[in-house]
Amino acid sequence: MYCVKCGVRLTDGAAACPLCRTPVRDPDGAEAAPAAPTYPERYPAPPKTRRYPILAFLTALLLAVSLSAMIYCLTNLHAVSWSGYVMLACALVYFALLFPFWFEKREPLIFVPIGFGLTCGYLLYICLYTGGSWFLSFAFPVTMLAGLLTTASVLLFRFGKRRRLLKIGVLLTVIGLSNMLIEFFLCITFDTRMFAWSLYPVCSFSLVGLVLILCCTIPGWRAYLEKKLFL
Amino acid sequence: MGKNWMRLDNAALIFPAISHTRWSNVFRVSATLTEPVDPALLQRAAADLMPRFPSMYVRLKTGVFWHYLEALPAPPQVREDFAFPLTLMQKKELKTCCIRVIYFKNRIAVEFFHSLTDGTGGIIYLKTLTARYLHLKYGADVPAEEGVLDLNEAPLPEELEDSFPRFSNGVALDDRETDALRLRGTREPNFLHLTTGIVPAGALKAAAHRYGVTVTVFLTAVMAESILAYQTERCPERRRRKPVRITVPINLRRIYGSKTLRNFALTLNPGVDPRMGDYDLGELCSVIAAQLNAEATPQRMAGRIAANVNPQNISLIRAVPLPVKSFIMRLIYNRRGESKGCINVSNLGVIRVPEAMAPFVRRMEFIIGTQRSYPNNCSVATFGDETYINMIRNIREPELERRFFSRLVELNVPVAVETNSN
Ligand SMILES: [Zn+2]
Repeated sequence: MYCVKCGVRLTDGAAACPLCRTPVRDPDGAEAAPAAPTYPERYPAPPKTRRYPILAFLTALLLAVSLSAMIYCLTNLHAVSWSGYVMLACALVYFALLFPFWFEKREPLIFVPIGFGLTCGYLLYICLYTGGSWFLSFAFPVTMLAGLLTTASVLLFRFGKRRRLLKIGVLLTVIGLSNMLIEFFLCITFDTRMFAWSLYPVCSFSLVGLVLILCCTIPGWRAYLEKKLFL
Repeated sequence: MGKNWMRLDNAALIFPAISHTRWSNVFRVSATLTEPVDPALLQRAAADLMPRFPSMYVRLKTGVFWHYLEALPAPPQVREDFAFPLTLMQKKELKTCCIRVIYFKNRIAVEFFHSLTDGTGGIIYLKTLTARYLHLKYGADVPAEEGVLDLNEAPLPEELEDSFPRFSNGVALDDRETDALRLRGTREPNFLHLTTGIVPAGALKAAAHRYGVTVTVFLTAVMAESILAYQTERCPERRRRKPVRITVPINLRRIYGSKTLRNFALTLNPGVDPRMGDYDLGELCSVIAAQLNAEATPQRMAGRIAANVNPQNISLIRAVPLPVKSFIMRLIYNRRGESKGCINVSNLGVIRVPEAMAPFVRRMEFIIGTQRSYPNNCSVATFGDETYINMIRNIREPELERRFFSRLVELNVPVAVETNSN
């Protein structure tokens, strides 16, 4: 039997042409016995994932740690006391590091912001529990900044694999500059001196970042470096 | 053989460094017999070949500075075929064995990790394995000719050598090419579609001669024409079209007369730039033939070998720890390795077998896998009166296959197709 569209000869009993998917209309009807397949029929089993037992074990471990801390505090100290930190820390570790791995497809754009949100909540708990006043002016903005930067870099590298070096350069520069912001928040919360240390990371990060950006944007530089540095 | 390990040859170095699910780092040669294969006898035949082919019975090991191939303690277990050929060899499998001996119904197939050898070496192994099997099964006495090796002989040193450094001229040939068009499609996870086009060798040869070129050039030109049409449809604006180049492996044994059973091939990328204008098949044939003729000379190939071998001779590079080296090789490969062509058209040529063997063998084939940025690949081998054109793809759409094979039909080359994915 031949395919009416592309003219190739088909194997006996084929239902459609494998090239153009045109259905076969065999004038002899279904009399032609299908040819033996050239490869085994069975579809290969997808590679075994061994992570579920490990995940279950780690989850149980975290659960055991937090439970034992709570029981210890409740029986000996008759209060939640420090077991609150332990339990919340375990929950944080679980949701940030283990929870995503239960899923076949881990969407970083969902899990990364959730992780940082949870960190924020944890810090708020510590701040309220210890009666500190550093949450709003320091912990919250710094965590949000870190979360924003991480999400932005995930976005940058997920969509489009081109111009990686340029993206790394921009990111390094931004990370360098954000050190200054962190110091600013430290400064207004704890009354430390401004520009005590942040200039060093700002300078070094931005310098490396700017060199990378220049290498990517000035074609001559890039060609020269490629010529000199290729192996 | 005194020591039980050997270095990777120059072309083999890249394969362990680049491990990628899109890249099936394996190729297959297969022989279809007239009767079903007896697995027990095939196992015995595979064991009997072990002393003669020390470079094939190996596993991949990691040193501090390089990977190396270590002799297997026992011959590999033969196994039944998978649902699709050329399943990726994972690190774990490579550590235990780099060769698969496979049977399915009438077919004996051997899959090699590409670091061991290339298609030519693979076919020599397959012929010898088949000859031994036929001897065990039917008592056929196959003489050691036409690429069948004598099992009573000891392996020759020149069969085990890395021929690349020997034929390097030390002057690295510098050819910078712009990036070629990249074929795309819907990724098919965990499956490779194989479409075999079976073509009368005589009709193919006649068609090639009508254009005054060899079969390899003719098939390369038809492939280029199909890809040009594919691109024209997708990119109507001529100025934005990308060069269409076909990666053609050149068997260096034919140029330099080496007898090595290890890798000894380099690729060329003949093609055209569609921004300059349209090409018909005749023009493509002459352009590609001219490009191949100009490049596939002993002198220029020696320069290409040198470009690959020279970095390996710098002691500073040799002293870099393996993980760092692999990382750098991966980086360089990703940047410049595979962007120069659209698809491989690898023609192994005519596979001849000794006359004593011919009545038992119905067909012999050669299949290469897909690569990182080559979702389609094409390998060709001629056995007897038929040419087997195996097109493999890791994407869903058989578009290139359709264009290529129906173009062959238009050119008066009848094509019969078989697939593993009906
Ligand atoms: Zn069709």
